[in-house]
Amino acid sequence: MLLLFALPLSMMAQTKSVSGIVKNSKGDPVPNVSVLVKGTEVGTSTTANGSFTVNAAPDATLLLTAVNFEPAEIKIGASSTYTVVLTDKQTLLTDVVVVGYGRSSRKNLSSAVATVRPEDLNKVVTGDVGQLLQGKVAGLNVTASGDPNKPAAVILRGASTLNSSQGPFYVIDGIPGADIATVAPDDIASIEILKDAAATAIYGNRAANGVIIVSTKKGRKGQAQVTYSGYLATEKVSNQLDMMNATELRSFVTKNNLAFTPADDKGANTNWQNEVEKSSAFSQNHNLSFSGGGEHGTYIASVNYLNKEGILQNSDLKRVIARLGIDQYALNDKVRFSLNVTNSNSNANDVPYRNTILLQSALYLPVSPIKNADGTYFENFVKSGYYNPVAMLNNSEMNTKTNLLIGSFNTQVKLPFGLTYDLNLSYQNSSYLFGSYLNKYFTSKYNSMYDNPDPGYAGHTLQTFGSNGQATRSSFTDRKKVLETFLTWDKKFGDFHTLNVVVGYSWQDNVIGDGFQATTSNFPVDNTSYNNLTLSSPSTYGSGLYFGGGNAYQHTRLISDFARLNYNFKDKYLLQGSIRRDGSSVFGENNQWGYFPAVSGAWRISQEDFTKNQNVFTDLKLRASYGVTGNQSGFNAYTAQFISGNLGTFYYNGNGLTPAYGPTQAANPDLQWEKTATTNIGLDFSVLNGRLGVSIDWYNKNTTGMIYGYKVDPILVPTGSITANGGSINNKGIELSLNATPVRSKDFSWNTTLNLTHNTNVITSLKNPLFVGGDSVSVSFPEGGGQSGSSLQLLKEGYPLGQFFTLEYAGKDHNGVSQFVDKNGALTVNPTRADYHYAGNAQPDLLLGWNNTLKYKNFDLNIFIRGVFGNKIFNATRADLFRPTTAMSSNILRDAANESPADGNAYKYSTRFIESGDYVRLDNATLGYNIKGINKYIKTLRLYTSVNNLFVITDFTGVDPEVNQGGIAPGVDYNNFYPKTRTFLFGVNVSF
Amino acid sequence: MKKLLNYIVFPAMLLFTLDSCHKLDVPITTQLTPDVFPQDSSQFISASGPVYVALRGNYATEYFFQQCYSTEEGIMAARGGNWYDGGQNKEMHYHSWTKDNGYVNGNWYWLSATIGVANQTLEILNTTQPEGAAKNTNLAEIKMVRAIAYFMFMDNYGNVPIDTAYGDFSPHANVPRSEVFNFIVNDIKSCLPYLSTTTGTATYGRPTLYTAQALLAKLYLNAEYYTGTPMYNECIVACDNVISSNKFNLASITDYLKMFYPSNGPTAPGSKDEFIFAIPFDATSTGFLGRSANYKARYDVPRSMGKVAAGAGYNYFNIPYTPGGPAGTLPEFYANFNDPNDIRNKQWLSGLQFLPDGVTPLNITTTKAGYDAVAFPGDNTPYTYQLNLTPNIVLRQSVPLFDCGNDEVAWNMGYRNIKFYPDATSTSRNQNNDIPVFRYSDIILMKAEAILRGGTPTLGHTALSLVNMLKAVRTTSAPLANVTLDDIFAERSREFAWEGWHRNDVIRFGKYENSWGFKTDSDPNKRIFPIPTSAFAVNPALTQNPGYN
Repeated sequence: MLLLFALPLSMMAQTKSVSGIVKNSKGDPVPNVSVLVKGTEVGTSTTANGSFTVNAAPDATLLLTAVNFEPAEIKIGASSTYTVVLTDKQTLLTDVVVVGYGRSSRKNLSSAVATVRPEDLNKVVTGDVGQLLQGKVAGLNVTASGDPNKPAAVILRGASTLNSSQGPFYVIDGIPGADIATVAPDDIASIEILKDAAATAIYGNRAANGVIIVSTKKGRKGQAQVTYSGYLATEKVSNQLDMMNATELRSFVTKNNLAFTPADDKGANTNWQNEVEKSSAFSQNHNLSFSGGGEHGTYIASVNYLNKEGILQNSDLKRVIARLGIDQYALNDKVRFSLNVTNSNSNANDVPYRNTILLQSALYLPVSPIKNADGTYFENFVKSGYYNPVAMLNNSEMNTKTNLLIGSFNTQVKLPFGLTYDLNLSYQNSSYLFGSYLNKYFTSKYNSMYDNPDPGYAGHTLQTFGSNGQATRSSFTDRKKVLETFLTWDKKFGDFHTLNVVVGYSWQDNVIGDGFQATTSNFPVDNTSYNNLTLSSPSTYGSGLYFGGGNAYQHTRLISDFARLNYNFKDKYLLQGSIRRDGSSVFGENNQWGYFPAVSGAWRISQEDFTKNQNVFTDLKLRASYGVTGNQSGFNAYTAQFISGNLGTFYYNGNGLTPAYGPTQAANPDLQWEKTATTNIGLDFSVLNGRLGVSIDWYNKNTTGMIYGYKVDPILVPTGSITANGGSINNKGIELSLNATPVRSKDFSWNTTLNLTHNTNVITSLKNPLFVGGDSVSVSFPEGGGQSGSSLQLLKEGYPLGQFFTLEYAGKDHNGVSQFVDKNGALTVNPTRADYHYAGNAQPDLLLGWNNTLKYKNFDLNIFIRGVFGNKIFNATRADLFRPTTAMSSNILRDAANESPADGNAYKYSTRFIESGDYVRLDNATLGYNIKGINKYIKTLRLYTSVNNLFVITDFTGVDPEVNQGGIAPGVDYNNFYPKTRTFLFGVNVSF
Repeated sequence: MKKLLNYIVFPAMLLFTLDSCHKLDVPITTQLTPDVFPQDSSQFISASGPVYVALRGNYATEYFFQQCYSTEEGIMAARGGNWYDGGQNKEMHYHSWTKDNGYVNGNWYWLSATIGVANQTLEILNTTQPEGAAKNTNLAEIKMVRAIAYFMFMDNYGNVPIDTAYGDFSPHANVPRSEVFNFIVNDIKSCLPYLSTTTGTATYGRPTLYTAQALLAKLYLNAEYYTGTPMYNECIVACDNVISSNKFNLASITDYLKMFYPSNGPTAPGSKDEFIFAIPFDATSTGFLGRSANYKARYDVPRSMGKVAAGAGYNYFNIPYTPGGPAGTLPEFYANFNDPNDIRNKQWLSGLQFLPDGVTPLNITTTKAGYDAVAFPGDNTPYTYQLNLTPNIVLRQSVPLFDCGNDEVAWNMGYRNIKFYPDATSTSRNQNNDIPVFRYSDIILMKAEAILRGGTPTLGHTALSLVNMLKAVRTTSAPLANVTLDDIFAERSREFAWEGWHRNDVIRFGKYENSWGFKTDSDPNKRIFPIPTSAFAVNPALTQNPGYN
């Protein structure tokens, strides 16, 4: 109170008029500089000639802020006129944007590029970049499952392909296609998300799903620095499926005149989900880096250790990443050599058939115990497909050791006439050593079980094992070699014309799947696990030695030429054109080369003279771009070719088992990349003296020639399908990013950023010269018991990807049996596929990410809220656990308590199980405390505590509304048993 | 020097890299692409294999069901919901199939894919195999397999599209049956100069010159039905080309049943004499289209005569599984087996059953309700009875669901065919019995029928002499004194039961519109099946057959 009154009083007390001129370092006047009397609301801004006049108390301080300049303060003394020289802002990351084959200042960018700084990345225990970016960027739809080892599905600006790989293309420190798993989150300096074709087309036929450029930290000259950052985290299950407990299930069974069999009913009350989970899982992460530089070179080295326990029993991940980066200048600093080496080594333990174990933990009867009185595992094999999940878990093991090495050597030569020459060489070696062992108990008890596909996917397959233990061992190496070289010409003509030209060449050679896999069985003891395959005798019981064929060696090559031109007139009119010519060996021989052009322009309206006198906009820029990119991911070296394989045996000259070899894959010499043409119109402006920055983008993305395994008449192509280009898909959307600083004072500030994304997706055609007959493709077949052949979604012209197409639930008939609307609009209790109806779609109308950073003195609080709205989820998991008729032999959901066993249709996939996918999640809250200059040893210290997934507001009844939005069948909750967790994290960052 | 470096060497290096290194070819090292396969004579054999594997596809299962259950020869009624299979067996019996019937769809797919595989293989071998006699014969044999598939395609679906070249991906309209007929005849004729005249092990399972003649005879015999133009003299010429080769004989009365045993083949009794073209089945073979297996006993042997629990029957055939056993014949068909001296009666299981000693009753212990749920509902009193296969199929449980019930009485309905004798040597349901497509006895009866239908007798044969020639090795009863078309029909029914030819015969003899079992439909459009839903999905140029829109 006192303060509030005191301020105006003191202002009124005594003021004088102060005037001045603001100039930049070159001595030119700077307009639009905000001049504020510190501690008051009084202020003005500079005119076109850089002058200002303001009334201030004699001892007041003036605060001068402007975009692109460091803030400055003037202590008012005796004089009433001042000249201030502002220094250019040094914050590299806000103003310099890393683009393909170069850098650009953000103000002179004509394309749509979003930058995420490391402090804005999600604080989660993960090595997955997708999860770090979740909710941070407009246009980026990231969905992560509870499973920590499954990378999040990342989709930029809507699904633009039917092909499985919809994820963006990663470029790490200039290395195209580098494995993102090699980067420790602590080493990230910035992430740029290249969204429109003007930004991505320079990456040609790999860019259609967007490009994400990751830059890692570098050493700085004269700044020797040692930094330690680390955290400890504990994770607890926040949500699991709401199955009945023993008491509830018993009363349901009794109420409905059913009965457990004596073999099952042992009077236990087992929570099987809890039994396969840990009560809490502990993680720790340590990162130590040291960097510095002398007169002619810089260096950085870091080592990162992550140890993460899985929330499921017997699962964990240990990972060490070591990185070294050296820059050395030579020849009078005209030449820079850079060597970067990163090695990521991880060791992951998991459980084989984890999804089956999770399924069993949901449906296993709570009235049965884990073990019998004699200490053996309880089992009841009278029921088919019914296995003790704890026994499965403890009688099998699985381990994957991964080593990822990336080395790059870059040379940059500064030549006369503003020319720069770059030569980048990189090598990536990824090796995977896998071992799994199913012990004698497992192979004797669970032979001929079904596996369970990953959530969202469908179609289980029968698993048969050899006797007496079965081991699988595989070792594969992938190698990528990249040579990229480009010449850059940066030239200013006169005072107004700036030209930047890049011409380059890229050569990439990939080898994938160099190695082997072997499965063998019949071991004398279980102890040797998968470590000594020579102990097995696979032929003794007729089960043989098998070699996996899925990862056959592939060799592919990509060659490209590219060029880009940027023209800048007076920082007002910006023009960019780029073209890339890409060749790839994976495509059909008739279509190996293609061109990917893009143009863009921007008009910085705020630089125009006619805006000099307004003081609404500090910055105003209009952008427009158009370009074509391609998609070649998801194809292997042989997709376009005739491949022959074993097609069985036939009788020839007395031998009835002569092998027959013939095409198992049809050739398509015309196969080529998908093309995505994107139009983007964007507007960037900042108002309120730069306190509110807004960026709006509208885009229209048309993908043509979608690659898909289309069904074909077998009389023409006997394999029945052919990978071909056909059909088209359209995405239109609007993205809005707001960055505001509502409060900024000496001790307290509040910064808030909001991003909103709206996208509409529609399949505009499914036609194909080869796929002439049908206009639709049924997808997502969960294969739930008794529902073989039921599909949940339909790909169809005029409908979006993720269109649900199923039975329409119409309540229950007079017998209490679920009924459905048939194709003629009448009701039926015996529906067929012909009675399917369109029933909403899986793609959200709106994505929201809202970040708040509050700083008070040395404290900071970050609150991040994420929301998804307008999408539907098909909860097939719920449908399959919604079987009142068999409640005496497998557990059901609490939700099914009021169902009657008379309803044999209760579980049928229908609109009854389509739910709203809307949710709002408090994704992260972090409270930090920072101290600077504690003593001469410690420069800065930061302590923080963070919680992830604090709460989620949703009507969705499954484990979590965040179901996979990627792939060809998004938004299906199937087999989604992986528990959702909440993480509490305590961390420290120190720099010395 | 420095200037040289700056202005010439660096830009030159750049230009050099831009100019060269645009080669995308990478060597093939892991897959069988056309560059590496097929290249030598054994690879050409392997490359022709898929055609034969494809033909085996549905021949012993779904194709046979479609030929058999659409006539009075056989019926597969449901037993307590089992084998209802979406009504596909019921529709076969009632002639009420639609374009969504499982067999109608499955066999269209199998036959078009087999034709597609043949076209693709012809294309591959035509470009890879060096010119010469070996290539000519190889290609002619593959064309003949295609002709056999096309014959079945045309016989079942009438108006089908003609596709003969791989690489033409444009959808082709279906053409009138007579056009398909002419295409097949001409295609066979083009193969004749190159086909082998060698019989026996070397060519067993592959089409020879005699396979071509037999297929021509079959086409000509049916020509009047297919095209409206009789070609009985052409049929007789084709039959004579087989007869005069003297490569085949009728199996003796002691070898008739052996002809179909699991051990049959190019050197086994009966089959070595009579098989002109057979599809070899090996219990351990693998395939890629359809089931590619012979499961005859699985459908035809009563459950209680397979591998069953103690007391529930007797594993008479010593097979390693419990057969489903839902399929039997109808009394209308069994009536043809009216000569007690005919060896062919022994292909049936009927009436009371005994153990292999022939005197001990094959007893089954169950409950009264388990035996007859209709007469003794809920009665769990133990009950033992001697297995008694009954001739009639009675839909006791549900007429709309085509269901006899799920008790022993229901399971024992229908006389069972065991011509393709259950295989005790196989470790699975897949049997080793090869299934003949063309036998010499068919040539004899086709020629007799062609003469009787107006063809000119040759080689001193008459219709009567030919029929009696066959009867002499099938029965000890007296020969016929005269022969009618009905006699030939009955003879063919006895001779070719369960071999997949009955539908073709019934239609040619004009009996397809008769009533049998529960079927009263007399719509002649049913002589050909509809073009299935799945075909329209991939070929919009097709036109539906008459009567199915």
